[in-house]
Amino acid sequence: MLSRFFLIVLESLLLIQTADRVSGQPEGAKDELAVPVKPGSVRFAVIGDNGTGERRQYEVAQQMAKYHERFPFNFVIMLGDNIYGGKRPADFKRKFEDPYQPLLDAGVKFYASLGNHDDPNERFYKPFNMGGKRFYSFKNGKAEFFVLDSNYMDPQQLDWLDKQLQGSTSTWKICYFHHPLYSEGKFHGPDTGLRALLEPIFEKYGVNAVFSGHEHVYERIKPRNGIYYFVLGNSGELRPHNLKRSPDTAKGFDTDQSFMLVEISGDELFFQTVSRTGATVDSGVLEKQTNVNSSGSAGRLNRSHFSAACRTSVEGAALEFLPFSTG
Amino acid sequence: MLRKPIISELCRIALALTAAFAVRAQGPPNQPVNRGALLSQDFEQRVTDYLKMRKAVEAGMPKLKPTGSPAEIAEHERELARRIREARPRARQGDIFTPEIGGEFRHIIEITMRGGHAARIKQSLKSAEPVQLRLGVNDTYPASVPLQSTPPALLLNLPKLPAQVEYRVVGHNLLLRDVGANLIVDWLPAAIP
Repeated sequence: MLSRFFLIVLESLLLIQTADRVSGQPEGAKDELAVPVKPGSVRFAVIGDNGTGERRQYEVAQQMAKYHERFPFNFVIMLGDNIYGGKRPADFKRKFEDPYQPLLDAGVKFYASLGNHDDPNERFYKPFNMGGKRFYSFKNGKAEFFVLDSNYMDPQQLDWLDKQLQGSTSTWKICYFHHPLYSEGKFHGPDTGLRALLEPIFEKYGVNAVFSGHEHVYERIKPRNGIYYFVLGNSGELRPHNLKRSPDTAKGFDTDQSFMLVEISGDELFFQTVSRTGATVDSGVLEKQTNVNSSGSAGRLNRSHFSAACRTSVEGAALEFLPFSTG
Repeated sequence: MLRKPIISELCRIALALTAAFAVRAQGPPNQPVNRGALLSQDFEQRVTDYLKMRKAVEAGMPKLKPTGSPAEIAEHERELARRIREARPRARQGDIFTPEIGGEFRHIIEITMRGGHAARIKQSLKSAEPVQLRLGVNDTYPASVPLQSTPPALLLNLPKLPAQVEYRVVGHNLLLRDVGANLIVDWLPAAIP
């Protein structure tokens, strides 16, 4: 009876804490930089569901260019829905080339994945750096990126992923694709069919972080079996107040567009999620998980932990650091 | 002197074994054995025929390589589709998904969607942003309509396809879509329960 009482109290506390984490308002100070810009680090930005061609996409792109001045990222990963609606040349200009022109001019490369609103022939569009392939990989420093086409996860693609991950010697293995394996978004929710196929492969070969879009919100999911999951589908589109409260959510943001800055240095991954207005929505540092089975064969990962902190303060107030438990 | 009788004996045994497998493969008289495999072969042959035609019409076109010009990509897609339409002007729904093949596909999908897979496939379909579309063979898939993702569990169980064509779901229908030409090759009505 007593243990049941404590369980109820614990659950209530958890829900209160979760409610704090699903936030509607940008929280950090505007224009602050929460990533360290270490020498020799891997630096990139993340956008998802961006290709609307509307004002808000341009405003996010302007913030990206602004942050690029202080955090010179070399490339941007795109989580799909790169070009909504029409696919005429004018659409590519209005929905991609014009908003990101300052970044393109600065030599920033974009690596796209395909969303359900994309024509698979976008893989031939050179600025998307897909090399004519629906799924591909690329390396940057100690990180290797595996870009998947989650619209069409056929056996050929699964075999390819298995082989690529098995052969990868990179310290950080990062996968990204459009449909999220975990999400508390009300509109789509997670793709559990995709999860059933991909998650065992990710765990087997020690994938460290997974980025997806599709839900037009931002979510950081509590680590799952040693893997960090992010959903970022609001760099152009937005589905306001679409996040459910859940104890699985480490942080959520669903009232404005956003993008992410990521920096990998040694065994640490620093991240900062920035809103359309330039406010920091979420930030922190994640430690690389240790793979107990270095052969990569059917090994389970050690439980990961959220090493430092997440900023959850309101603008102008002192920063509050919340340690997170493992997933 | 001994060599010839030994060889002929071996040949006789080999022939006998082959005949025995053939009889076994046929099964009892009047009972269709492995009908699914035959229909699968038929389907693969129809897809192969389509690809032969496609290869022939594509032969006269420059190969599409990564380009900074979206106009070039769009033009290649349009031209390939135009040539395919021209090469199969009388193509109708059911040319590839014949009634027999269609029945087998529905059967495979129905089995896949039973039991443990059912909830996951339904979740995948829900998560995929379902679309509705009036379908026509040789039609272009409209740019304004998202391509609904195909549940991975279905892709594991349906016959494998070459990279030029793919399965897509539209409502309850299963599409065979030409990827490069963005063209509906054929479609199977009421494929998804």
